[in-house]
Amino acid sequence: MHIPDGFLDPVWIAITYAITIGYGIIAAKKAKKLWTPERAALLSVLAAGIFAAQMLNWPIPGGTSLHFVGGALAGILLGPWLGYFVLVLVLVTQCLIFHDGGITTLGANILNMGIVDVVVGYLVFKAVIRAMGNTRKARLIGAFLAGWLGITLAGIVCGIEIGLSPSFPYGVAITVPVMGTWHAILGVIEGIITAIVVDYIYTKAPHMVISLKTPVEVVSRAA
Amino acid sequence: MQRESIWQRHRKALITIIILVIISPIFGVILANMVGYHEPLDVAAEKLGLHEWEFTWTPFTDYTVPGLPDTIGYIICGFIGVGVILGIGTILYRAAAAKTERGGAA
Repeated sequence: MHIPDGFLDPVWIAITYAITIGYGIIAAKKAKKLWTPERAALLSVLAAGIFAAQMLNWPIPGGTSLHFVGGALAGILLGPWLGYFVLVLVLVTQCLIFHDGGITTLGANILNMGIVDVVVGYLVFKAVIRAMGNTRKARLIGAFLAGWLGITLAGIVCGIEIGLSPSFPYGVAITVPVMGTWHAILGVIEGIITAIVVDYIYTKAPHMVISLKTPVEVVSRAA
Repeated sequence: MQRESIWQRHRKALITIIILVIISPIFGVILANMVGYHEPLDVAAEKLGLHEWEFTWTPFTDYTVPGLPDTIGYIICGFIGVGVILGIGTILYRAAAAKTERGGAA
């Protein structure tokens, strides 16, 4: 899903950078209230883990591959504000050091994987927990759906960006179904991995799953 | 009071990350070469004649290290990436801990 340079025209480059920077400013203000040494450590270890996990491309005969993206996992563990910075750390490192994803498309790549995937993952997980209660079954179902829907919608938004950009010769009528369908299929694996990791972390260290805390608990730990 | 390091706080997770990086070439290089894998959006760009703008300010394009076999280069790139992220994380962690200590002492 890392869009290379050349796919987006200047207007879409500007739009996606503007949304990403705007969200980042809000996220930085919100994150101040949540900031603790414990969460700073968790943020960087999670970012390092997602970076390493993304290097494990599982090639599929035919010339494509799947790999874990981790946006929903970051949203579930650290919430939509700190989770954004986890993916920013991963995507900026990949782009600036390894040329994985374009510099002109970095705004779009952060928008897709660092905002859409993170926020959708967080909201879906919260909704399932609210509906089913904080049980193991609910956490597994919630994390699976969060991982699956997060990556599927991120793929659809990616399809919209490249489909609407005049630089790309195919329109949204083609790019959205292709990206959406493909990521809905790959999203099953993303969902399974997200569910397993959330379940494991909740079992070992439940305090690390911020999205299961009440807003008062989240802020009071940082105070 | 002695402050815990990130390593002490998250030792198991960091060991898992080291293992992931060491085994990563099995997936990212060896199996990828077996099935002729290329990044799907890069393939699309090539077929459509879209030109990628090349900004090569580091020599680690596509997780390779010049002069080294792809598998070894992939592992080294993995450690470079993890190292950069944890380096930034350590700065953030120390800054947050120092702020907390100042707040506690105030």
